[in-house]
Amino acid sequence: MTLEIQKPRPIWQIMFSTHHTDVGLLYLITSLAALFMGGTLALAIRLELFLPGSQFISDSMTFNRMFTVHGTTLIFLFILPFASAVGNYFVPIMVRYKDMAYPKLNAIAYWMIPPAFALIWLGFADFTWNAYAPYSVTRAPGPAADMWIFGLKLLGISSILGAINFIVTILKCKHPDLPLSKIPLLAWSYLTSSLIMLVAMPTFAAALLMLLTDRLGLSGFFNPAMGGDPIAYQHLFWFTFHPEVYVLVIPAIGFMYDIIPRFSRKPIFSHVSGIAAFVLLSIVGFASWAHHMYATGMSFTEKTVFMIGTLSAVPASAMHVFNFLATMWGGRIKFATPMMWAVGGIALFFSAGAGGVVNSAMPLDFMTHDSYWVVGHFHLFVMGTIAFGSFGFLYYIFPYVTGRMYNEKLGKIHFVMSFIGTIMVFFTQHILGLYGMPRRVFDYPPIPEWIAMNQFITIGAMIIGVGMVIFLINIVYSSGKGKEADMGDPWGVGGEKYYYPYQSKTPHH
Amino acid sequence: MICPINFSLALDDDPGKYINRKAEVWNLFYRMMTVAFVIGSVVSGTLIWLVWRFRESNNNAKKTKYEEQGKW
Repeated sequence: MTLEIQKPRPIWQIMFSTHHTDVGLLYLITSLAALFMGGTLALAIRLELFLPGSQFISDSMTFNRMFTVHGTTLIFLFILPFASAVGNYFVPIMVRYKDMAYPKLNAIAYWMIPPAFALIWLGFADFTWNAYAPYSVTRAPGPAADMWIFGLKLLGISSILGAINFIVTILKCKHPDLPLSKIPLLAWSYLTSSLIMLVAMPTFAAALLMLLTDRLGLSGFFNPAMGGDPIAYQHLFWFTFHPEVYVLVIPAIGFMYDIIPRFSRKPIFSHVSGIAAFVLLSIVGFASWAHHMYATGMSFTEKTVFMIGTLSAVPASAMHVFNFLATMWGGRIKFATPMMWAVGGIALFFSAGAGGVVNSAMPLDFMTHDSYWVVGHFHLFVMGTIAFGSFGFLYYIFPYVTGRMYNEKLGKIHFVMSFIGTIMVFFTQHILGLYGMPRRVFDYPPIPEWIAMNQFITIGAMIIGVGMVIFLINIVYSSGKGKEADMGDPWGVGGEKYYYPYQSKTPHH
Repeated sequence: MICPINFSLALDDDPGKYINRKAEVWNLFYRMMTVAFVIGSVVSGTLIWLVWRFRESNNNAKKTKYEEQGKW
């Protein structure tokens, strides 16, 4: 076995490589950079909201810019590239192919991300990650808004190229002896999320072009002054981005499908139900986009259809949760760091889903709409489920990527701080929303309950922040000076050698 | 009886038929929260029990049949 650490390569060889693990490493590093940059903005936002009035951010416009870039960075530059990193590393291995189907296209898809990253951060737009019209058309200052649009355009093309590559790799390049029904659930998660991406993304790509031509004054699709309809933008946006939620969450569930059986020392309870739930989620994901828009004056019938469409995601999600619980049942569970993150992610996935069910009932949605409830619900999903699954899997693949072990104790401290912080921040935000605090506000009236809850949330955010610093120290130190990992069984769970075969890093071609 | 939920709430706009919307919505909210918390308690309770019972450091922990059969 030849370990990477025994055969270091210059960085340019990795940067200009088209090998799937090299492109995966680039995705991984980029996504972690985005995590810390977007996370820093989150802490700044929370510090500003610690007390009513202006603390250190001079005006509401700056505040708007900060949460716009925070959201855009963490969704499009952390979560999605992290999923792409893992997919690049493991999808070819799982379908037993030497690389991705189109290695050069794969590298091109990655190299669209750094310019998009630069456009988003150098522009620092202010119209939220939704870029809702008419503000984004008529008032949002350029060139920041235009840079954001171009950045998202690049990311959209990158995502589509990546999705095509995953689909072709899985469907056409898998080993002939490997039936589709037998490929690991992690690979299935990439197949279904890539299919969603391929269907959903072109709509937003079109919407972005329409937005841009509207901003240039060439058209008036979303500009009421020119006879356009701002609500049409919302439909186009959410037709892409509600399914996109599943694009984000499905790989995270796939990560858990790899971690939980390993540390429970059992096979997954039901492979078939996992596949069925992924396929079901990818279909019903398209049946619920307008539940984000109940307050826009839709008819009762439309609202009912989308409410039922939303609720139809519950059985598929429950199938995943049941599968995880049934796998753990009767196991001999080793609570190493990846398993702790996975179990914490399941608990929070369920909590976020329960909040979503309440939210999907249309009369309740009118109460929670644009309140902190929505912030809490959304973040409980993206942080509590997706990021938890991602962190768990990052620890899980750390020996594979670096050949070294991370510090287990620091990994567990990172988990505990993140779990406590997540509950403090996002559960409390639900309650804050019910107390009437609107989202996306720079200042708020000095209502004692609001102040107390905001301070509690900020303290929770700081706990998460300290955990992330510990995480950063752990991965940086361990990747260079950590103990060499036993590549057959890094966590000592015994049994046959099960870990991803390091030798599968086929020579560069 | 928690379900079915009365969705006529959003329809009743006839003159003279007064509905205290705030009370109705909070009523619906509490009923749905009751459902969510009951199911949540069962699932979370099961998860916590699984974590406690099947952790390898539990005195009752034993090898899984897959480990014993060497299929692991």
